[in-house]
Amino acid sequence: MQNIVEIRDLKKSYKGGFEALKGVDLDIREGEILALLGPNGAGKTTLISTICGITTSTSGSVTVGGHDIVNDYRAARSMIGLVPQEINLEPFERVINTVRFSRGLFGKRGDDAAIEKVLKQLSLWDKKDSQIRELSGGMKRRVLIAKALSHDPRVLFLDEPTAGVDVELRKDMWDVVAGLKADGVTIILTTHYIEEAEAIADRVGVIAKGELMLVEEKNTLMARMGQKELEVQLTEPISEVPMLLQSDALRLSDDGSALIYTYDTRAERTGITKLLSDVAKEGLVLRDVVTRQSSLEEIFVNLVNNGDNAEDAA
Amino acid sequence: MNWTAIRSIFVFEMFRFFRTIAQSFLAPVISTSLYFVVFGAAIGSRIEEVEGVSYGAFIVPGLIMLTVITQSISNASFGIYFPKFIGTFFELLAAPISFLEIVIGYVGAAATKALIIGIIILITAFFFVDFTIAHPLAMVAFLILTAISFALFGFILGIWAGNFEQLQIVPLLIVTPLVFLGGSFYSISMLPPIWQTISMFNPVVYLISGFRWAFFDTADVPILTSLLAIGLFTGICLAVIWWIFRTGWRIRE
Ligand SMILES: Nc1ncnc2c1ncn2[C@@H]1O[C@H](COP(=O)(O)OP(=O)(O)O)[C@@H](O)[C@H]1O
Ligand SMILES: [Mg+2]
Repeated sequence: MQNIVEIRDLKKSYKGGFEALKGVDLDIREGEILALLGPNGAGKTTLISTICGITTSTSGSVTVGGHDIVNDYRAARSMIGLVPQEINLEPFERVINTVRFSRGLFGKRGDDAAIEKVLKQLSLWDKKDSQIRELSGGMKRRVLIAKALSHDPRVLFLDEPTAGVDVELRKDMWDVVAGLKADGVTIILTTHYIEEAEAIADRVGVIAKGELMLVEEKNTLMARMGQKELEVQLTEPISEVPMLLQSDALRLSDDGSALIYTYDTRAERTGITKLLSDVAKEGLVLRDVVTRQSSLEEIFVNLVNNGDNAEDAA
Repeated sequence: MNWTAIRSIFVFEMFRFFRTIAQSFLAPVISTSLYFVVFGAAIGSRIEEVEGVSYGAFIVPGLIMLTVITQSISNASFGIYFPKFIGTFFELLAAPISFLEIVIGYVGAAATKALIIGIIILITAFFFVDFTIAHPLAMVAFLILTAISFALFGFILGIWAGNFEQLQIVPLLIVTPLVFLGGSFYSISMLPPIWQTISMFNPVVYLISGFRWAFFDTADVPILTSLLAIGLFTGICLAVIWWIFRTGWRIRE
């Protein structure tokens, strides 16, 4: 698949010197749904804002459809739609006018059919003459999406589209996103809900403290999610794994003093009982047994904890 | 140049204006009528003539200038500050448009609104006093130039302002006094010499003088000086806007 957005060593320091992005490299593939998962303050909004032209980067480069976002900003931005995190709309404006305005800003001629299509797509057609202030929160977010889609962007950025939204609306939003993907729109959404990434993304990127920790296919990621390691520490170091114990799931620690067994907590049989009895059969003497979550799981747990703390503080 | 985008901004801003049409038109018409009643009829009846023009007619150019200047500033500053205030400004930054196009859209709309109101006041004035316009084309040109240059100034103000207080403080403390002391209601030559000299440092004097020349063919300062003054003011505003554009000051972090 072709890359539609390419981000190279992107850095952003805010005034006062705070480094919100510490060299992000990321390729976004055409037609995919990429979820950027990270706690509050991770730099998700900063990353999106920089790609969309709302903030300027300190260094690094971004191209959208091959167009540099600085030197060729008109071509780059023409391809992008942005739905911001905050609901920012003029309260007294009518829905259809604000969508028309957005389309015009992108240099596209007024086209009633196009506006009608996008309003219907978001179930806003019967609200087209309502003032924004008359709409519910979920509807307002739809208006934001309609504005972002008004100029037929190829890439859509959704910054926390379901933050503070109830379960039903969240499902609703997922349907909207799935519909857009079916139309061939590339979608990047940020979230701090793992379940959200799991529900709709093709790939997941984890971002924390201004760094992109990993980007992976959701399926691969989810498979690794439930993994745990069991470390069997031995009294006497050994040089190689005994015959009986050899398997893909088992390896020897570097100094030979421990056997490390990887297993899936969600599997029906973890294989731990067999492992321990085999260890005994081989005549190995145990000093201690330790279990730990895989590094990925740790990232997530930290992620969620940090996120919770940040929310408590707010 | 993305003319569609400029037009969108312009139309959107004009819609805002027409949505509050009663306020937009009525307020200046009423206040101008009051000026005519108070200054023109009550005081004017004792002053008779200034520079060969009846006092009622004499204050017409000044009144129009007063309104066009304040309206241009407030329209433009509010027009660009409002999106910053409610957070819709991001849309302008994320759109494939240049800062120049944003300026043309907002300043164009603000100046147009001010011009419409200026013309309404001119029409209102005809109901109160008799006068003819000596140089109609120059009058229109002056009006347009003034509206644009003060809308540019207002735009800068709106970009600079961090809250509504700051948005109002500059017009209130600087612009309004300068305009009132700029000869809207009197001729500079009526002042004692020392105040005449001080007045020469007030840029608005040159505007009102030039505008009055377009009406009555008499002026406090030569018309070329007036043109130079407004040209200079416009130039300074453009330079500041160019600088904002280059540095992204108060726009992009
Ligand atoms: N305008 C700003 N000035 C200074 N620091 C900022 C600004 N915006 C965001 N930050 C900081 O940058 C970090 C990343 O913020 P943000 O991108 O909004 O995170 P996220 O969207 O992942 O919650 C945070 O620590 C935040 O405090
Ligand atoms: Mg954010």
